[in-house]
Amino acid sequence: MDVEVTQDYQCVGKSCLLLQFTDKRFQPVHDLTIGVEFGARMITIEGKQIKLQIWDTAGQESFRSITRSYYRGAAGALLVYDITRRDTFNHLTTWLEDARQHSNSNMVIMLIGNKSDLESRREVKKEEGEAFAQEHGLIFMETSAKTASNVEEAFIDTAKEIFQKIQEGVFDINNEANGIKIGPQHAATNATLAGNQGGQQAGGGCC
Amino acid sequence: MSGGKLGKTRIWLFLIDNLETWPGPKFSSGFSCLVSSQGYPWGLGESHFQSDLDGRLLLSEGQYLPLIEVHKPAILPGKLIHKLCDRVASSTLLEDRRDAVRALKSLSKKYRLEVGIQAMDHLIHVLQTDRSDSEIIGYALDTLYNIISNDLEEEEQDDSEEENSQKQTEDLESQFTEIFIKQQENVTLLLTYLEEFDFHVRRPGVKLLTALLKQQGPQVQQVILVSPMGVSRLMDLLADSREVIRNDGVLLLQQLTKSNAAIQKIVAFENAFERLLDIITEEGNSDGGIVVEDCLLLLQNLLKNNNSNQNFFKEGSYIQRMKPWFEVGDDNAGWSAQKVTNLHLMLQLVRVLVSPTNPPGAASSCQKAMFHCGLLQQLCTILMATGVPADILTETINTVSEVIRGCQMNQDYFASVNAPSNPPRPAIVVLLMSMVNERQPFVLRCAVLYCFQCFLYKNQKGQGEIVSTLLPSTIDATGNSVSAGQLLCGGLFSTDSFSNWCAAVALAHALQENAPLKEQLLRVQLATSLGNPPVSLLQQCTNILSQGDKIDRRGSKVQTRVGLLILLCTWLSNCPIAVTHFLHNSANVPFLTGQIAENLGVEERVVQGLCALLLGISIYYNDNSLENYRKEKLKQLIEKRIGKENFIEKLGFISKHELYSRAAQKPQPNFSNPDDMMFDHEFTKLVKELEGVLTKAIYKTTEEDKKEEEVKKTLEQHDNIVTHYKSVIRVQDQELEDLKKQVESLKVQNEQLQARVTQQVSQIQQHKDQYNLLKVQLGKDNQHHSSGNDVVQMNGVQSEEISKLREEAEEWKHKLEQLEEQLREKDSLIEVLKSSPPAVGTSEGSSQTKTGLEVESELHREAETLRAQIHLQTTEIALLQTEKQELLQQMSAAPAPVPGDRGTETADLEGRFTALLQETKELKNEIVGLAEERTSLKQQLDSANSTAAILRTEKSALQQEIAESKKEQDDLLVLLADQDQKIVALKNKLKELGEPVEDEEDTESGDQGEEDEEDGKGERED
Repeated sequence: MDVEVTQDYQCVGKSCLLLQFTDKRFQPVHDLTIGVEFGARMITIEGKQIKLQIWDTAGQESFRSITRSYYRGAAGALLVYDITRRDTFNHLTTWLEDARQHSNSNMVIMLIGNKSDLESRREVKKEEGEAFAQEHGLIFMETSAKTASNVEEAFIDTAKEIFQKIQEGVFDINNEANGIKIGPQHAATNATLAGNQGGQQAGGGCC
Repeated sequence: MSGGKLGKTRIWLFLIDNLETWPGPKFSSGFSCLVSSQGYPWGLGESHFQSDLDGRLLLSEGQYLPLIEVHKPAILPGKLIHKLCDRVASSTLLEDRRDAVRALKSLSKKYRLEVGIQAMDHLIHVLQTDRSDSEIIGYALDTLYNIISNDLEEEEQDDSEEENSQKQTEDLESQFTEIFIKQQENVTLLLTYLEEFDFHVRRPGVKLLTALLKQQGPQVQQVILVSPMGVSRLMDLLADSREVIRNDGVLLLQQLTKSNAAIQKIVAFENAFERLLDIITEEGNSDGGIVVEDCLLLLQNLLKNNNSNQNFFKEGSYIQRMKPWFEVGDDNAGWSAQKVTNLHLMLQLVRVLVSPTNPPGAASSCQKAMFHCGLLQQLCTILMATGVPADILTETINTVSEVIRGCQMNQDYFASVNAPSNPPRPAIVVLLMSMVNERQPFVLRCAVLYCFQCFLYKNQKGQGEIVSTLLPSTIDATGNSVSAGQLLCGGLFSTDSFSNWCAAVALAHALQENAPLKEQLLRVQLATSLGNPPVSLLQQCTNILSQGDKIDRRGSKVQTRVGLLILLCTWLSNCPIAVTHFLHNSANVPFLTGQIAENLGVEERVVQGLCALLLGISIYYNDNSLENYRKEKLKQLIEKRIGKENFIEKLGFISKHELYSRAAQKPQPNFSNPDDMMFDHEFTKLVKELEGVLTKAIYKTTEEDKKEEEVKKTLEQHDNIVTHYKSVIRVQDQELEDLKKQVESLKVQNEQLQARVTQQVSQIQQHKDQYNLLKVQLGKDNQHHSSGNDVVQMNGVQSEEISKLREEAEEWKHKLEQLEEQLREKDSLIEVLKSSPPAVGTSEGSSQTKTGLEVESELHREAETLRAQIHLQTTEIALLQTEKQELLQQMSAAPAPVPGDRGTETADLEGRFTALLQETKELKNEIVGLAEERTSLKQQLDSANSTAAILRTEKSALQQEIAESKKEQDDLLVLLADQDQKIVALKNKLKELGEPVEDEEDTESGDQGEEDEEDGKGERED
């Protein structure tokens, strides 16, 4: 299952969110993301093992043409802004348009207001974020990559939403362009074993 | 070009922005190409070129292109090309344009320059406007490819000029490429043609783009990167069902992904790994052809130095898919060159994932994955297999090295691998045998050393095992099998200098960062010649070092000493006991000072540096246990014999050595020449660490030393205090924690107890309430007792009434029995009836149904009487009920049963009364049951009647049908008779007329006639 942590501006904490999710740690000083970086983690939804493959994209305008290439194959996207900087919130519309234009129409988009630990410096109210999300049909959540608050939920809820869409048949799992892949269970050291597991997809595909 | 005497003409291409500022000769129009002959910058032939070029090279930005040399005869077809270009530009008919482009294509190989200069713009124009005709597009793309690509054979080249012209053609290509990509739209346009499915468009398109990328990679990459979905669309080429295009697509992607991380990531994102691995599998892994090679090269492009992609590769479980690549059979003879190349690339790909230069976490997770999927095991199988080509074997050893490096699990596995010999020997031993064998190829020996180093890297367990094979207690007394330790010692003291060096370095790695083993190794004793006492390993090393020059050796003499010094430095560093052992031999210090002080040649400088290092280590790690070689004394010695400055300078010789910096770059020893093997990567780290420290230590005076020691002591004291407090704090922490826990548990207990208390309080309250209630009730009960006496009289009256009722009930019972009897009779009657209806169903006559009807009516009557009786009974019962009701009311008017002796009587009566009630109730139920039975019987009768009626109607219908068919039959018989008569008459007539008539025909025709008639009648009837 491909998920993209996307956008909005630089330094809103996308890379930190990903690091917190994949490595469970926070790095206060992070290098500027160049292009994209890859991260992955296994999660369990309804007893099924699912591998989330996450592409962390650069927020800088100059990388925009590169990051656009990643919309097509993604099943979900996390649109992130910084609650302590209004300009990052104001830019959301542009990014959303960009995402909608280049992605699969079924892509699940979650709106994330990051840095919720910095309550004293808040510039964007939670209600504003909620209103924006409602207006554009997005899921909304405020997170903190620093305290790890809601980070797990943000990714897992997005994955659940995608999973539900798969089960409803909205996503065609046989079409790679949707960013979903039913795979044989990995870590099978025995070739015949791998074959068996590939056959019975219900046994737990990793996406 | 009239100047035949010039032979050669130089063409200068200038890109002129503004003709007014142009310093050269003036030209008429937007002419931007000049021709000059040697020595005459703007001389002959101007006009010729002017007409040929016609100012069509619309180049801007005042850019200057390097010169191009061309041959004079090449100018001649210029006119033809010019004409063709005109036709392409001006012809209105598509066919004409197409022919012209085709002609240009055929000329483009031979006259690249001319076609390129003149036709480029026209060809681009064709691409823009003639999109609908795939044929002309195909020719145009082919022509452009011929102009730009450089893989054409250069014909008509003189040998002397070959090199020169080669350079020129390369210039030519890059210039044309630059012209083409100057307009970014051209590349975008080309990208759209790659989406065209037509083979004749797609293939040259792919080839052209590949050529452009080869020439001007970075620029073209940028254009593709910014064009929407540019990279993604190119990825679709891998899915093309035509193998040629798919394979060309792989080549295109190879060029596209060259040193551009952003593109590499997008290509990986677009599922390149999956597709490429699929292709490799389809083509038969290493047995596949050049396509496999191309795919592997592309994979290497995607993964090399790209951590993000490596992570993706690992997380996508693609490492598992590499395992089958290395499943080589037992018969390894006669591998094709292609297979060797493929396997080589496959091994390199494994190494890319576990390279020591990768981030530590990333490499180690790949190493683990390789173990878990069995890839490492597969590689070890190749390692021990027979008949594998030497270079593949070498690369496999290198690959195994990096797969196990610093990964305990993999190192443990490697230690357990055995060679399939008899008796089985550990793989490590077999490999070490090759390392100290001078007949083995140099690269192989280097690989084994690397493998051994990687095995010991951060592997204390492995280090211990190796050293233990040298210790007296564990040496195999029988001497049947060779141990690793024995091999290393053998190598250390052999006459081959490279073996010496390798063994010394290998042994040094067994001691790396492992102080206990350094002490252990001091115990090792070597048996020299018979009769002489055994010598310690340390002693033997220093002996060889000092007599180095006297022994005749193969290879560089310096190498042996360098190796031994590396071993000694590693051994002594951070191990005061080893230093003491070393200094104990009184010959050692004079030897070292002698070496350092001497003024030797350049070659010996490394040895001098290393000797200085060893002496420095002996000072720095000296614990002052030997009176003669205390720190101060050694320092004084240096000052007297060598001089501090000189000593430091000599020490600096090591890190200044050219080979030192090469060794410091990466862990793998990678030198082309055995003599270049001087330094080891790990040793360079040690030198870096010690250089500064030793320099400081040497410069320090004794007083400073003392001071330092004092400081150290106080520091130690401080440390002790701190550690003491730390432990106190730790204990207190622990206590605090325990107490906290206790408080917590007490809290919980308290809560539980409180809860219990409240519970109990409420219970007590409940009990109190109940008690009060009971109290009140008791008071009431006492009252009841007093009023109970009044009831007795009433009960006396009741008993009479009850006896009456009993009699009545008796009567009713009797009646009921009668009724039951009647019912039984009726039942039997019904039985009779039940048996009769089926008879009615099957019988043909109607008389039986009549009897059925009679019975029915009888039944009706009886049912009627029964109903009347029942009615009567029900009214009687109702009467009884009312009576009973009254009684009951009277009873209820009486007070509740009185406890005591009197109560028993009334209770008895009540019991009887209820029994009576029960009986009446049962009777009622029976009546109801009877009524139900009756109704069901009635239903049965009704249904029987209806079936009888149906049967009757059916019968009458059937009778009617029979009558009708009889009538029809009669009619038919009459008709037949008529016909027969007619036929006979006709036959007779025919006979009279003399025609012979056969009887068969007659009957047939007669039959037919009959049939026809019947048909006809059937129709009529319908």
